[in-house]
Amino acid sequence: MRFRWWGRKRRQELHEELQSHLEMAARARMERGEHENEAARAARREFGNVGLVNEVTQDQWKERWLEDFVEDARYGLRRMRKSPGFTAIAALTLALGIGANTAIFSLVNGILLVSLPYPHPEQLVSVTGAYPKGAFVAMRQQIRTMDVGAYAEGHELNLTGFGEPVRLASTSVSAELFSILGARPDLGRTFYAGEDVPGQGNFVILSHALWEQRFGSDATILGRSIELGGESRQVVGVMPAEFRFPSTKTQVWIPLQNDPRNAVSFWAGDFMPAIGRLRPGSTLGQARTEIRMFQSRVGALFPWPMPASWNANASVVPLQSGMVADVRPRLLILLGAVGLVLLIACSNVANLTLSRAATREKEISIRTALGAARPRITRQLLTESVLQALLGGLLGLGFAREGLVLLKVMLPSDTPRLTEAHIDWRVLLFTGALAILTGVVFGLAPALHSSRAALTEALKSGGRGTAVSVSQRLRSWLAIAQVAFAVLLVIAAGLMIRSFWSLSHVNAGFHPERILTARITPNESFCNDAKRCLTFYRSVLDQVQAFPGTSGAAFVNTLPLGGRVSKRSLVVEDHDLPPGEDSPLFWLNVVTPGYFRVMGIPLLSGRGFTDSDISGAPVAVVTAETARRYWPSQNAVGKHIRLLDDKDWRTVVGVIADVRAYDLQRSAPEWINGTAYVPYNSAATLEDRRIPAEMTLAIRTASDDSQIVTMLRSGVASINREVPVSEVKSMGAVVSEAVSTPASTMTLLVVFAALALVLGTIGIYGVLSFLVSNRTREIGIRLALGAQRTDVLRSVLGEGAKLSLAGILLGLAGAFAVMRVLSGELYGVGAADPLTFCSVAILVAVVALTACYVPARRAMRVDPVVALRYE
Amino acid sequence: MAEKRERYQNRIELLQGTLDLLVLQTLQWGAQHGYGISVAIRNRSGEILQVDTGSLYPALHRLEKQKWIKSEWRISENKQRAKYYRLTATGKKQLTKERSKWAQLSDAIAGVLNPLEDESEP
Repeated sequence: MRFRWWGRKRRQELHEELQSHLEMAARARMERGEHENEAARAARREFGNVGLVNEVTQDQWKERWLEDFVEDARYGLRRMRKSPGFTAIAALTLALGIGANTAIFSLVNGILLVSLPYPHPEQLVSVTGAYPKGAFVAMRQQIRTMDVGAYAEGHELNLTGFGEPVRLASTSVSAELFSILGARPDLGRTFYAGEDVPGQGNFVILSHALWEQRFGSDATILGRSIELGGESRQVVGVMPAEFRFPSTKTQVWIPLQNDPRNAVSFWAGDFMPAIGRLRPGSTLGQARTEIRMFQSRVGALFPWPMPASWNANASVVPLQSGMVADVRPRLLILLGAVGLVLLIACSNVANLTLSRAATREKEISIRTALGAARPRITRQLLTESVLQALLGGLLGLGFAREGLVLLKVMLPSDTPRLTEAHIDWRVLLFTGALAILTGVVFGLAPALHSSRAALTEALKSGGRGTAVSVSQRLRSWLAIAQVAFAVLLVIAAGLMIRSFWSLSHVNAGFHPERILTARITPNESFCNDAKRCLTFYRSVLDQVQAFPGTSGAAFVNTLPLGGRVSKRSLVVEDHDLPPGEDSPLFWLNVVTPGYFRVMGIPLLSGRGFTDSDISGAPVAVVTAETARRYWPSQNAVGKHIRLLDDKDWRTVVGVIADVRAYDLQRSAPEWINGTAYVPYNSAATLEDRRIPAEMTLAIRTASDDSQIVTMLRSGVASINREVPVSEVKSMGAVVSEAVSTPASTMTLLVVFAALALVLGTIGIYGVLSFLVSNRTREIGIRLALGAQRTDVLRSVLGEGAKLSLAGILLGLAGAFAVMRVLSGELYGVGAADPLTFCSVAILVAVVALTACYVPARRAMRVDPVVALRYE
Repeated sequence: MAEKRERYQNRIELLQGTLDLLVLQTLQWGAQHGYGISVAIRNRSGEILQVDTGSLYPALHRLEKQKWIKSEWRISENKQRAKYYRLTATGKKQLTKERSKWAQLSDAIAGVLNPLEDESEP
């Protein structure tokens, strides 16, 4: 307001000033005898254009800074256009550094740092360890410092009566779980306390995605009943799309069935993770103490003795860190790697700017001599640096956006909270600011120096003064650092490649080629009648075996690398249990005859299963590892095992090769004592003393898979229209899913390493090019005095080799020190693998020397005559 | 219009140093308004230097911004309200500087224009 008033007053005064000039001029003419009108006109004519004078005078009031800025910016842009190569390299360098960092950091931020999307997330905790329903119910009653909830993920239920039957991923939750999280439904309600006991909880809550896809976002579904796993459940709620607890996979939530009368399910069923919300006034430490005390009592509640080691390290941790504990080390490794890329990018920018700055020292000296003020020059260089950085930053933003999309695709989809990650502006600003700062600091160097150095000195030496040798030394160090960082990253990538290679060339114990797999899963209740269940699978198998283009098919309850383990306690002949020790826990594979042949699992001794084993004497097959463990120096064939609670001993009729069934590194988790196979019949019961009701079909195919899938679907439907066919995929796909995590880590590290190598190469190239152009005159003199061109080549290459070698050695030393952080991600290769270290050193040396060769050749071709006339 | 304006600005640029000197020198004899300054310069130069108002007023405002001169509204001898400018202490110092610079410049130009005299000296 004041400014406008001030401005108006000033304009008014100027107007009066000019008017008074006109009047005085006219009066002077009148005094000389001119007529009044004539005098006024003449005075005006003599004065000129009043409006224009007014305007140019007002121009003087304006501050100059804006115009200066525009002028600087214009000059800067012109310079950028004039040297497109420099501009492009600098912008790209910055963009890659900023982009990669922003993308990775956004991911890390979204997964590790951003609070969980629930109210008061700081109160949410996770109880480490896993508890059966009985132990959880006791915990809920006894724990005072927090409200606790439990959930069992990974169950599946058939949805029938709504078009084709489908298999849904369900999570069973304690009634209070939603209120503990503070999660509200989009529609309807969540579960009420007391609904997680039998007879009270025939309800289901739908995920938003399922509601959309399967029920067409129909709000009237609330209150209606759907057929889920053979039971009718009333839909009471739909969760919002953002609600993804415990993971994105869950499609329906149903209440747990806490039934103390069913001792096996109550005390030995699902071992579930528990979460809690600290009550007001309680601390994490108090909750931890209380859980430890609870843990010391809970073992006594079990109907059977529990080993003291069970949940011995139970503790309470913040829910957020509990949920992402598995991905944290991997993300931190990636963050470290991408941080190195940023460092390289920054030193590259510094290097580029320094080299250009050196060439500008003369220009700046001249401008200073011509009277340009030092702040003015500083401001101009600053403007140029900022312009350059802005260009890089904009490009970087683009890279970051695309990069994040790519990252989300590349990372395994079960990475927790992956979908929550989005571009983080703070990160972008941070990396951008860092890059800009680098550019500015190094961009200003010539301005600061030239103002200090004697003007004439700089002009005389033409840019080869002391400042150059200082900046040359700095530039050399920067180049060495870049090479060292690049070596670090390339070694990390190399180790991951080696590790991945050994992982994918591991002998998995089966042949995944040309095997099609599909889950065929009637309701659990359907298999209450074991005979009906067995007949169903039998008829499916009969149909499939008759398909053209198949050369065998078999059912198994747990497919290798399929992510499922089936446990069974049993008794092993010759291995009487010492008192107080548990019976060994086996991974019990229930298979139909022909399974070993279909999967290509080699039989080491004895025989596989035949059709007569279905109804004949009880038999079993064990793996080589198990045979070695229990009968080390004897033949396992002919020995006996007995499923706990069974009367009949099973005779071991064969030993098969070990199968990497748990993951590609292990045949079984460490809490499993052995692996056995039994034929699928009514005696093949699992830990819940029921025969498996969820089987996976493996078909060895010779022809088009899609044709077989169609036949399979219609075939199963013709036998039972309520049974869904799900997870149809090739065994090859199952295997690659098992390595998707190391694959993504490896790919990212390789990308970063390539980036680092490219940037590092640019760095070395830049340093040498500058060196050569600075020494053109000297080289010319040498050549004129009779030096051989090869000497020149050798001298320049030697300079480059010195830098590269220093960088490589530093990098190797660094790698030796820090590669240990990778060891958790490596398989079949040590963190200090000499082969990787050596090949990386050679690779980087070759690349660096190639980069040196270009400027070296230019040096060799210097024409002495031209060089001496130069300047 | 824009073109014309640019021409004016160019003229300011060309005259800048000299015009500043002339204005400061004129104000040395006492406070004066814009019209008075232009008349004084014209008269003292024997009608040769016609100060363009498009240069004069920007120069006055620029010099005022640099605090070399100061302005105030007064009533002229003809009972007219006019804006008078007077020299400040820094303006006086500036005038001394400008005068010695001018002397140097004219000597230098004279040296260039009369090379024979120069060469005759050993």
